[in-house]
Amino acid sequence: MPVIVRRTAVVVGLAAAAVAGVAASLAFGAVDIPLRTVIDALTGAADPGPLRQIVLDLRLPRTVEAVAVGAGLGIAGALLQGALGNPLASPDVIGVTGGAGFGAVLILIVLPGSIALLPVGALFFGLLAAALVFAIAWAGPNAGGVGRLILAGIAVAALFGAGTTSILVAYPDRVQSALFFIAGGLTSDGWSDLEVVWPYFAVGFALAIGLARPLDRLALGDDVAASLGARPRLVRLVAGIGAALLAAAAASLAGLLGFLGLVVPHAVRLASGTSSHTFVVPVSALGGSALLLAGDTLARTVKAPIELPVGPFMVVIGVPLFLFLLRRAI
Amino acid sequence: MRTSRLRLPALRTPLTVALAAILLAFVVAPFAHAAPPKRIVALTPFSANTLAGLGVRPLAIGQTLGGKHRFASNLRGVKALTLSHPNGPNMEELALLDPQLVLSSPTWAKGAKTMRDLDIKVVDADPENVADAVEQTKRIGRLVGKADGAATLAKRLKRQVAAARRGVRKRPRTLVVLGVGRTPFVMLPNSWGGDIVDKAGARLVTGGVTSRSGFARISDETILEANPDVIIAIPHANASDIPAVAKFLRSNPAWKDSKAVRNGRLHVSTDNSLLQANTDVADVIRKVRRAYLKN
Repeated sequence: MPVIVRRTAVVVGLAAAAVAGVAASLAFGAVDIPLRTVIDALTGAADPGPLRQIVLDLRLPRTVEAVAVGAGLGIAGALLQGALGNPLASPDVIGVTGGAGFGAVLILIVLPGSIALLPVGALFFGLLAAALVFAIAWAGPNAGGVGRLILAGIAVAALFGAGTTSILVAYPDRVQSALFFIAGGLTSDGWSDLEVVWPYFAVGFALAIGLARPLDRLALGDDVAASLGARPRLVRLVAGIGAALLAAAAASLAGLLGFLGLVVPHAVRLASGTSSHTFVVPVSALGGSALLLAGDTLARTVKAPIELPVGPFMVVIGVPLFLFLLRRAI
Repeated sequence: MRTSRLRLPALRTPLTVALAAILLAFVVAPFAHAAPPKRIVALTPFSANTLAGLGVRPLAIGQTLGGKHRFASNLRGVKALTLSHPNGPNMEELALLDPQLVLSSPTWAKGAKTMRDLDIKVVDADPENVADAVEQTKRIGRLVGKADGAATLAKRLKRQVAAARRGVRKRPRTLVVLGVGRTPFVMLPNSWGGDIVDKAGARLVTGGVTSRSGFARISDETILEANPDVIIAIPHANASDIPAVAKFLRSNPAWKDSKAVRNGRLHVSTDNSLLQANTDVADVIRKVRRAYLKN
């Protein structure tokens, strides 16, 4: 199949999946709401009352969160895999996931009275972890090298992981309240968390747009990229910052969903047959959103009214698809 | 000048009436807002049973997944909301009930934030210890406009607890253990279960450890050195897993040489009365004395 046809098919397929995901996310939940009422609520025609409130204050912000988090993680994975030239790169590698997990567990378990600070805590520690990784990786010999960055990421992730485990051990009766975050999942939190983190998503998305072409040059190797006028270490640093912002903002809303950032860009490359970042970065956003919308809708309807973590559902949906593409590609 | 003189008295009456109305509104408004809520959801067994004791029927009560909470008979037929982490009740189900007041606990702090965003008043009213149970009873009474009834309930609770504690003959050295999976944690005096057992007359074995959480993982060596007379183990697991955890705690090889195990005084409390606050505090103290401490 010609590359252009494959690319078009991937974009159309993922766009259709994302639109269907948005519709399902708004239409289905623990409470059965007629489709007409959902549409009326969205268009402002519904009467005030609990059903309107459920659609506008619970389902709509959750759907927007799923789109933002899915897109953010998909792009973060694509940026890091491109910048580090490493297929195993994901937000875990730069310490963001470990830091965000520590920040969230700290608030959820040690300071449950300050629960409003949950997204801020996760975001702060996620970015702090990434800042530590970059500071270590960009200091000393071979500053900004890929190996140094990955090793610094492993060390910082281990440090925050140990902190998280220590908190869980110190408060055994409260562990349950943190498990959902660790497993990864969206919750119906209204608009307040999104109001806190949207600027980080915005900056991350803007950086990603600007990085697509420099990352394509970087894929040719540092020396060739430099001869073409690119500054490989600067590109790597900016891509890392963009990925850190997106991954930390995503973790602050939906917990630890590192799998999505690892798998979606690979699936996009394998399905489309191209590694061009001008294609992979935006289409990973589409794919991440579609996957998270599907996983979240399943997670909150399959055993309603109990809401399950979305992480396992995304794995159930994503892994067979990924393995199928992998089998065809290798 | 003449005109204004003529107008002033004419103006004075409506002005006075308007001012009086504004003042009255300021005086009356707080009382109008203070009308006790009618649509109440009680997420904890303690708050549900306190409402039942006050003759208030909640819209719904919380029920943890597989939980075996003890509810008053007059709560039969009240809608049960399944509670699960992290939010507690499903927010869509809760919003559909349109409650004015939710009596919650810090366990559901994340859900409470969302409830407040939905303009629902949320109050944590789950006691942390026996003394707090009396205070929370009064607090719930004030919130639902039954302060007098709650004061009576609180007095009765205090009297019942005092009666349940009376006549302690022995104060056995007791280790209270929370079994999370295969890892036992010691329950300290600032946990619900630790406080109940302390009030029942035990001397708690804590290894000198203090912790804000009320729980601590202490070394089995310290436990053996302390050599408690009684061990009360409380499995913390899903209802279906409790027998397996209880079996493990009963046969923990680290404790087999302790005085408690040798004398057959390792007890496993499989209901949740030492984990979850409820209104039957005095009955639980009596049960601990009769079944475990034998004092």
